[in-house]
Amino acid sequence: MSATPTPEAVESREPLPPPSSPPAETTPPRRTSRFRPAQLIPFIPALVPAALIVAVIAELVVSTGFTNFGLSFWGPDWLPSPSVGTPTFGILVFITGSFLTAIPALLLAMAIGLGIAIASTSYLPRWITRFLDPFVDLLAGIPSIVYGIWGYLLVAPFFGTVINPVIYRYFSFVPGFGGKAPLAEGVGLPVAIFILTLMALPITTLLIRDSLRAVPRDLWEAGLGLGATRWETTRKVAIPYGLRGIVSAGFLGFGRAFGETVMVAMVLNVVPAFPINFYSGTSTMAAEMFTQLDSAHGNGQFLAALSEMALVLLAISLVVNIVGRRLVSHFAVYEVPGL
Amino acid sequence: MNALTSSGNGGPVLSAQHLTIQSKQKKILDDLSLDFPAASLTAVVGPSGCGKTTFIRSLNRMVELTPGLSIRGSVIYLGQDIYDPSVNPVMVRRRIGMVFQRPTVFPTTVFENAAFGLRLVHEDIETIEKSVEEALQRSGLWEEVKDDLDRPALSLSGGQQQRLCIARALAIKPRVLLLDEPTSALDPAATQRVEATMQRLKEDFVLVLVTHNVGQAARVSDKVAFLHSGHLIEVGPTADILERPREALTQQFITGRFQ
Repeated sequence: MSATPTPEAVESREPLPPPSSPPAETTPPRRTSRFRPAQLIPFIPALVPAALIVAVIAELVVSTGFTNFGLSFWGPDWLPSPSVGTPTFGILVFITGSFLTAIPALLLAMAIGLGIAIASTSYLPRWITRFLDPFVDLLAGIPSIVYGIWGYLLVAPFFGTVINPVIYRYFSFVPGFGGKAPLAEGVGLPVAIFILTLMALPITTLLIRDSLRAVPRDLWEAGLGLGATRWETTRKVAIPYGLRGIVSAGFLGFGRAFGETVMVAMVLNVVPAFPINFYSGTSTMAAEMFTQLDSAHGNGQFLAALSEMALVLLAISLVVNIVGRRLVSHFAVYEVPGL
Repeated sequence: MNALTSSGNGGPVLSAQHLTIQSKQKKILDDLSLDFPAASLTAVVGPSGCGKTTFIRSLNRMVELTPGLSIRGSVIYLGQDIYDPSVNPVMVRRRIGMVFQRPTVFPTTVFENAAFGLRLVHEDIETIEKSVEEALQRSGLWEEVKDDLDRPALSLSGGQQQRLCIARALAIKPRVLLLDEPTSALDPAATQRVEATMQRLKEDFVLVLVTHNVGQAARVSDKVAFLHSGHLIEVGPTADILERPREALTQQFITGRFQ
């Protein structure tokens, strides 16, 4: 500490002119004090993300035409072009639908991701994980339209003919699992949640795996050295240590599932109504905007309603993101002192 | 499993017999045999790369966590070979504790660190509290932390963290405590306190200390074993080895000719 010169000491070394030197106005100006436009260049790329967010929000706000739908905008009735009476634009069904698909998918993706990450970091031998890990990365690269086609042609019929009928037959006494029989086509909530889980899975798995891999080897050995099994060491040392990364995985996975559009529109059996039971269709904000854009063409009020719905979707995504960041920064950063 | 929990009868508590450990490239330990009697502190000294860390890690099967090593020979703990296929390494590590080169406290409170091993065996909370206090007293940390056991363990100094690691290992009441260069990351004052702790502990435990510091071996150990290139060069009472070594290699090492 004492060896490092203090800032004052460094500064006082140069600007003091010797007593016989010429007067101050002839000393050359300090280099850093002159403004040069080139100094602004680094700001340009740095400002692009902020400018994009502002531009998107501004565009959405303008395209709403500042239409005030009043309280009914938050209500359950979505009647954009009724045969009688005035149109009503209530988006409660879609907000509900978005959460109803994203939350279960996120919980499943977190549970499965945690399982894969623990197996890969603590149990499987190195040569197996070296072979298997890249598949998780590949999964992240599959376009959502491919998931949609696959889901519609293959997964949905399987749910419609095998899984849903079995659940319906044996669990119809559970509230929400009885009532109207599931469709043979299989499209509906279970398929949408299942495929959303797969789509959120790469990001949760990768982030959880990285945060478990960041657990110092010393701490692992300390746990095992105290007579803990591998599972006990994972549970009591590695997971608490990696908690920050695991929580971020949850928030990013939620973002992935919450905004997904095409795949959901293809397999959810999109209807603008609350689900009547486990097997039925409903709609999400993203899927509804996607499927209704064509009908809204030329209808200013309808387009305004879709734009406002887009703002709500954006707002929820941003709030979840910001709350997530704040929450994550509340967990202490655990570091083994470097000594 | 009974042999692991019964008490000894005069012979060495722990004994390495014809231990040979090999990686793909080279022999790390070559036919090494060494006894550790009760109530003693044995210092294993030698230059870097002599195999002393691999040796101490083989005494509670921690060495198996390093992939690609083949282990031959045996380590007898109270009459039982800990490498016998019927022996569970988890049980071995509960009887033969270990403290590492760098403090490895868990990111939780002081109390939970000390209680880690006790919680694994599902002791009731009164027993845990009693054992934690006892272990912290033995490790010489109790007076410094007793007023705030719920503070984060990472807020302790390096030396305090290392004594917490010793307490954590002692809390599950092992017979043997392996110390792998426990002061190599500590300043002289903290080193002195850890050495004082070791001297108190050797009354009740079998201590095995790996160190590259001849001065430390002289200060705390009863017996010194000198390792070089995976071979046990000589072993004997501390004063004999450090003052009148029989082997030229030992002489060179203790006079600081290679490190």
